[in-house]
Amino acid sequence: MDTKLLHLDDESLICRIQEGSHEAFASLVDRHSNRFYRIAYRLVSNKDDAEDIVQEAFLKLWDRPNLWDPGKRAKFTTWFYRVVINLCFDHRKKKKLINLPEDIAFADENPGPDVLFDMHQKQAVLERFIHELPERQQLAVNLCFYEELSNNEAAQIIGVKVKALQSLVMRAKTTLKYNVKRYLGGGSR
Amino acid sequence: MTMNFEQFKEKLLMYGADVRCWPKDIRSSGLKALDSSPELQKLVEDEKRFEEVLKTRKYEEPSRDLAGRIVAAALPKKKKAQRNLGVFFSEVLSEFSLSRRALAAVSVSLIFTLIIGFTIGYSNPSGYASAEQYTTNLEDFLNYEGDVL
Repeated sequence: MDTKLLHLDDESLICRIQEGSHEAFASLVDRHSNRFYRIAYRLVSNKDDAEDIVQEAFLKLWDRPNLWDPGKRAKFTTWFYRVVINLCFDHRKKKKLINLPEDIAFADENPGPDVLFDMHQKQAVLERFIHELPERQQLAVNLCFYEELSNNEAAQIIGVKVKALQSLVMRAKTTLKYNVKRYLGGGSR
Repeated sequence: MTMNFEQFKEKLLMYGADVRCWPKDIRSSGLKALDSSPELQKLVEDEKRFEEVLKTRKYEEPSRDLAGRIVAAALPKKKKAQRNLGVFFSEVLSEFSLSRRALAAVSVSLIFTLIIGFTIGYSNPSGYASAEQYTTNLEDFLNYEGDVL
């Protein structure tokens, strides 16, 4: 790989890709594939699906690099997060429901924090709680808590103002905290 | 600026249990409020436990060759497009910008020309000489002594 490309910023790489440079494309993929895989995995909860979605997103960019418009002044990563997130939601709609293990069905409607769950069950329950949040709250938690993006960037990706994003985070965490305390123990409302 | 219980609770949800990582403009007032209130300290401990639970969420690392796979998948796309005969012809035709009717007329006339050519070729045996005729003609040629003037 051309070492000069490593020093170029994302926007310059896209310009090269628009000129047909496969090396610039390779450099961009190398730089960002894991980052976009992470958010895809958080949204679809499946490694293979997440990898396919990231691949699809990058191949779309390769086929139609002019989709990213520098004139709109959005950072490449902000814009591409949106592309990946949209593909994830499309994928989820196609699949209807995220395939969560059956063992997370609660026998007792109100089991209390003393119910013993093994690690696998705890993870499945937590996943369900997160997936049951409204879409924008899910995004807020995933971007701000799991991806540790700044409020500003997360707000741009979701397409809301920073205040609205903070409100989404608060509502999501309040619901999650309530559910976590109720079923898994830990934290307080 | 002092921070009351409700404000602190709100910021805790917004920015997390590590008050030292809060935005600069609220960090010192947050730390001050935390130092002076056992109730807030308990709240922060609860938040930390909650965050620990959130961090147990399942995550699988991507395949090591994910980037390589994507790059490899992109490469043949454009190469294939270059090699594809159909694409080549369609590009050539689009260069001439012929209408569909004109294209159909050209195609039909080419097919007719081929059919007529083959029909004439197979139906006229005069162009072929048998081996016997050929030998005779060769003998004549060899025995030819020239025209008598």
